[in-house]
Amino acid sequence: MNRKKALVAFAIILVAGISVVTYMLNMPARDVQGADSDFQIPSTALVQEYLDDATAANKKYLDANGESAILEVTGFIADISVDFNEQVVILLQSDNDLAGVSCTFTHETNASTNDLALGMEIVIKGVIRSGAVYDEDLEMFEPVIIEKSDLFDIL
Amino acid sequence: MKKLLLLGLAAITLSAFTTLPGKLKSTISHIAFYSHTAFEDIKANNYKSIAVLNTESGDVIISVPMQSFEFEKRLMQKHFNQENYLNTADFPKAKFKGSIQNMDSHDFNKSGEIALIIKGNMTIKGKTQPTTMEATALVKKGKIHLSTAFNLTLSDYGVEFTSGKPSKHIAKTIEVNATFEFNE
Repeated sequence: MNRKKALVAFAIILVAGISVVTYMLNMPARDVQGADSDFQIPSTALVQEYLDDATAANKKYLDANGESAILEVTGFIADISVDFNEQVVILLQSDNDLAGVSCTFTHETNASTNDLALGMEIVIKGVIRSGAVYDEDLEMFEPVIIEKSDLFDIL
Repeated sequence: MKKLLLLGLAAITLSAFTTLPGKLKSTISHIAFYSHTAFEDIKANNYKSIAVLNTESGDVIISVPMQSFEFEKRLMQKHFNQENYLNTADFPKAKFKGSIQNMDSHDFNKSGEIALIIKGNMTIKGKTQPTTMEATALVKKGKIHLSTAFNLTLSDYGVEFTSGKPSKHIAKTIEVNATFEFNE
């Protein structure tokens, strides 16, 4: 009887173990929009934070597993474009900012940009990938890059 | 006289717009890499690189935000970013800085296809290695479409696995395909 119980327990543990490993190996992509935001910040402040101290900003926002901070960024639309993957890209940047925040939407969220126009003040939620920096080789400012974006609010 | 001056100005302005300026920028890009082993094929895509092409000096600069590489599986993407792989939190950008060889024989103002050799240095995870890539530039309607394919040996950039699953599942040399659209 005890042996039977032990066998059943072993079988349960084995099935559970295999399920966990299978889940880990096939875990779907991170659900950025379904997760809570880590920071709410205006685009101007985010750019300035990076230009002031990129190392400190990277430490604050970038994650060692690549699952970096989810931000709600407020700013004015300076440009609307489409990338090679047919994803809408919205640049949030004010007139006096040296760099902007480039927010890339997804095939699922592209449609929420349909009614947006240059100059509108909006809030975009997405995950940060890299910060703003002046690159001496490119001889220009690179924007903050946000991906997996969706429109969070229109102000 | 005033009319003549205006005409002259108009001609200069027009020619400025029909001839491509020297330095062109690209924010529309795609970099894909492919790792093949008997155990597993791994692919990742990145659409967020920025590049500059100078059609007069031949300089080519490419900046790649490393955390923008998207994998099919979340676990693969996590591994890629980790310290013993690409350590993207400490090295968030990779960069290529090079120049087009034999610039004298290339005319970027004429529509058509140009075969190029670009020589330079690639910096990944803080390590810089000399890199040569063959590329094709397609010049059409004031835009330049640049595409290239080359191989990268991971150990050159301090990404090396001598034992365990990664040593069998990740190729020692990976295939990289990149395309850029230069238009401003």
